Amino acid sequence: MNDFQHINSPEGLEQLIERYFDGMTTVEEEALLRHALAHCPWSSDAIDEAKMVMGYFAAHSHQQRQQTIKGKRQLFISIAASIAIILAVGGYALWQQQQPSDVCIAYINGLVVQDDDKVMGLVADDLNMMDHAGNAMSDQLSSLGEALELDNE
Amino acid sequence: MKRIIIIILTCLLTTMAVMAQNGLNINRLFDGRYKKAAGATEIIVTGSQAREIGLTVYHSVSVTDKTQAEIIENLVVKDGVQAVDKEVEYRNGQLYYGFYVLSRQHSSNRYIFFLNQNLARKAPKNNVTLIYMEGKVNADKIKKLIRK
Repeated sequence: MNDFQHINSPEGLEQLIERYFDGMTTVEEEALLRHALAHCPWSSDAIDEAKMVMGYFAAHSHQQRQQTIKGKRQLFISIAASIAIILAVGGYALWQQQQPSDVCIAYINGLVVQDDDKVMGLVADDLNMMDHAGNAMSDQLSSLGEALELDNE
Repeated sequence: MKRIIIIILTCLLTTMAVMAQNGLNINRLFDGRYKKAAGATEIIVTGSQAREIGLTVYHSVSVTDKTQAEIIENLVVKDGVQAVDKEVEYRNGQLYYGFYVLSRQHSSNRYIFFLNQNLARKAPKNNVTLIYMEGKVNADKIKKLIRK
């Protein structure tokens, strides 16, 4: 291990690669080899082959990480979509519940009137009454405006 | 993930706010108390008949009992405080006419009309009317509706 602690030549690296492929390296040496291959500027058949092999492992672990992230993302999206669907269905149910059903009824002195025309006639009477009161207010405002205009002339 | 949680929380809070908003003071008057009362008229129109006049809900109460008139006026005035727009006329310190545009709810406009005919100058009548209306129509159309 000590021989390879400071790899400062391609030959040193190749020796370590050879030991690696012979299955003679320790865990520390393997870590050193990975580090050296990741950072060395040299190129040779043995070094390139080792880079490819190590690179494959690096790429493989990266792929696994990506798959894990993708899996988690899909899980979050599924949860979010499920919640969105629940909210939408709940909202629709709430909206449906709030939609008034067909009712057209009047109670006059305790008597029930269910004839649509009669009830709508009563509605019209109510609205007319409000109209007269609203008009009275408008008329009053108009009169006030006219009085102010006259006063200013 | 944080963004999803924020969106979900916002949706929940909005739903809770909308649900918490629904209570109008005048709703207390629509609990059925006038359905069998002498000297009272209650009208409820929803669904297709209401849609014919551009509304989803029409609910009115008219009473001749002066004590009830006072109760109705108080509740209308309380709801009027929350109104986004209003036209009111007081006579002798009492509400004579009120038209209130309330805040929208469930994408519907809401209106309250109030009239105390006891305070009318011409031909006063012992009658107080409250109308609650709900629908997509705007305030101008509501005013046109009462002028039909």
